[in-house]
Amino acid sequence: MKKGKVYSLSLVMLLMMALFLAACGADDGDTSTADPSTDSSATNTESDTTDNSSSSTPQVLVFGRGADSVSLDPGTVTDGESFKVTQNLFETLLNFGEQDTTINPGLAKEWEVSEDGLTYTFQLQEGVTFHDGTDFNAEAVIKNVNRWKGGKEEDFYYFNSMFKAEGEDIIKDVTAEGDHTVVFTLSRPQAPFLKNLAMSPFGIASPTAFEAAGDSFGDQPVGTGPFKFVDWKRNDSITIEKFAEYWQEGLPKLDKVIFRSIPDNSARLNELMAGSIDLADGINPSDGKTVEGNSELQLIERPSMNIGYLGLTNTRAPFDNKLVRQAVNYAIDKQAIVDAFFEGRAEVAANPMPSSISGYNDAISPYPYDPEKAKALLAEAGYDGKEIELWAMPVPRPYMPDGAKVAEVIQKNLEDVGIPSKIVTFEWATYLEKAKNGEADAFMLGWTGDNGDADNFIYTLLDKDNIGSNNYAYYSNDEVHELLIKAQSETDENVRNDLYKKAQEIIHEDAPWVPLAHSTPLLAAKAGVQDFKPHPTGSDKLTNVSMK
Amino acid sequence: MSEIIRNQVRQIEVEEKVKGPWQEAWTSFKKSKSALVGSAIVIFFVLIAVFGPFIAPQGINEQNLSMRLQPPSAEFWFGTDDLGRDIFSRILHGARISLTVGLTAVLISAVAGSFLGIIAGYYGRWIDTIISRIFDILLAFPSILLAIAIVSILGPSLQNALIAIAVINIPNFGRLIRSRVLSIKEEEYIHAAKAIGMRNTRILWKHILPNSMTPVIVQGTLAIATAIIEAAALGFLGLGAEAPQPEWGKMLADARMFLLNAPWALIFPGLAIMLTVIGFNLMGDGLRDALDPKMKN
Repeated sequence: MKKGKVYSLSLVMLLMMALFLAACGADDGDTSTADPSTDSSATNTESDTTDNSSSSTPQVLVFGRGADSVSLDPGTVTDGESFKVTQNLFETLLNFGEQDTTINPGLAKEWEVSEDGLTYTFQLQEGVTFHDGTDFNAEAVIKNVNRWKGGKEEDFYYFNSMFKAEGEDIIKDVTAEGDHTVVFTLSRPQAPFLKNLAMSPFGIASPTAFEAAGDSFGDQPVGTGPFKFVDWKRNDSITIEKFAEYWQEGLPKLDKVIFRSIPDNSARLNELMAGSIDLADGINPSDGKTVEGNSELQLIERPSMNIGYLGLTNTRAPFDNKLVRQAVNYAIDKQAIVDAFFEGRAEVAANPMPSSISGYNDAISPYPYDPEKAKALLAEAGYDGKEIELWAMPVPRPYMPDGAKVAEVIQKNLEDVGIPSKIVTFEWATYLEKAKNGEADAFMLGWTGDNGDADNFIYTLLDKDNIGSNNYAYYSNDEVHELLIKAQSETDENVRNDLYKKAQEIIHEDAPWVPLAHSTPLLAAKAGVQDFKPHPTGSDKLTNVSMK
Repeated sequence: MSEIIRNQVRQIEVEEKVKGPWQEAWTSFKKSKSALVGSAIVIFFVLIAVFGPFIAPQGINEQNLSMRLQPPSAEFWFGTDDLGRDIFSRILHGARISLTVGLTAVLISAVAGSFLGIIAGYYGRWIDTIISRIFDILLAFPSILLAIAIVSILGPSLQNALIAIAVINIPNFGRLIRSRVLSIKEEEYIHAAKAIGMRNTRILWKHILPNSMTPVIVQGTLAIATAIIEAAALGFLGLGAEAPQPEWGKMLADARMFLLNAPWALIFPGLAIMLTVIGFNLMGDGLRDALDPKMKN
């Protein structure tokens, strides 16, 4: 009797422990989804009633995404998750095309550029009001621009990075000519000026509101957008609702949008399948087939405008040697990575920007996978075989669905040519901070374009001006710098493209990175979600979206 | 079998009635079937740990991205994982990691725990108070939480996971020994030793330590099982073994994303953990029954 008891008891205990281990794993995603599940069921019933509705029931869209916003003051933030919300609360003077980065009217209905490229005159829309009732006019635009200009660099990061060059303000002056005409005077011509103005950070905010709110404007945003801010539960959800006095008749079609943060990609998809959210971004490429096979869901592809890369910190041994950097480029089997982890929804990258962007140099092809060549280069460089740290991002990104796994492949590729490496990872914010400080040997990272301009990739990511900000690789080449600065003020498109093509050649030769892939990020929605057009920049306007 | 017993019997007869305590224990241990099964499993995994790497058909990091998540087949006995690596080979290699971590961690904690426990129990007073309070503090935390905290401070690696597991197990051994010592030191033979002027160190080494070893052996065997699970849990949470080490817990964690498409990537490492732990637990239970004089038939 005693033995039998011991037997079965230990068996039961062990099975329980096995279950416990397995349950631990699910926890990753579940902890975050467990708490909101109570109120998600409430929203769920709400959206369910919408499904089989007459037009009188409110249309509520629940948007599941990977992380919470940092702040809802678009001028002060840099993260995509903040823009995803502010894009619907605020409007910019100019808009991008529905699914591209062409320039279209926004709060400005017409604009003119002077011959010398230094004066831009905008005619503003009339009859537009902010959510708080303040009128939108030339005065409001000027107050916004002066707010950005007057702030410190760390307060208005994007303004300083887009509208400042070599320490000098590009927007010299903004003046009003009557109530609905604004004139921007520039200190030097800037080719991507209009594209820059269309970026989400430059959403026009209500001057009354930001003057009254000061630093807390990010918690109570007021814009002119189709939706107004209602409620923000940190790390859980942000609710926005239809702005009844929106200046475009009949829009928006939705009554309410709830942005819910669900960090784990598979947990988010599970919630979509369970029906507690209507739209989910960050779908794993490996789950694409599951979604396509489900008749109640639709798979949506976001037009690609990104780059995932392995940065090689150019100031740290052994990557201070160009030959070693080239060797790493030869050593990594990029095609195998794309095939295995992106399920074919990506192309192997050759340059630091995707081919859809004008100025892309298609004469350059990626370094081929050639371990022998890599070994020869390493021998030539006199590489000492010292172990390097290989940094893998801890979170799935649109340009890199599974950083840790891809890192293991890269680790093996490097080992095959004789570079031993240790995979290192940190919490995401720490990871970025440390990489920015140049503490990594080799690190995985990526970038999603903000405005579809070559400047926003090559200058932002690889110019020496941006060391300590987005130039994580600490790449510095004066010739490239000269080309890029020249290209910024060159207004002739062809000349400008040639400058970028030349810069890409030098960068290819210097190999500050291993460009890995340009991916097509995936989203999934319930079949009833209509007219959702994901934007390549990652910030989607929900103005035209409706639910069946 | 009967012959062995007969030999045994004869041997015992030859050595007259001096049936030592170890021999007695072995006789009683043999009687327990579950203990024998447990020992067999343990021996099996020890053999794998020693010889596994030599018989493994592939290396631990032979990736083949075109053969990802292949089901078990003649070529890949246990299938392949998401990087196209042979799971069978990785499990064979993993046995060495898990057993090494389990044995080493328990050895460290048993030695450290016994040392502290004996001192606390024998000298008593303020030494006892200090050591016992430290044990209480350590025991106040759920052990896995404490392990996670230690690894977070030291940085995730297999070695640090081992240290963490060793540390969290120290108080278990310490308290066990301390209570044992407390009762032993009141025994007459200890008083006698003191009376004839034997020095404390000699009493500790020659009399107290050997007499308090049995519970440590039992606790040690059972602790190995726990240590293996703790190592797997840390590996699962990304705080133990680093890529590409084929640690079983880490293999589980890597495979859970593919639970529905490729269950084999999860099942085999899970089974390996379960079997090893069952083995040590059964063996530990058998040892306890055999060594505990109160359980004698």
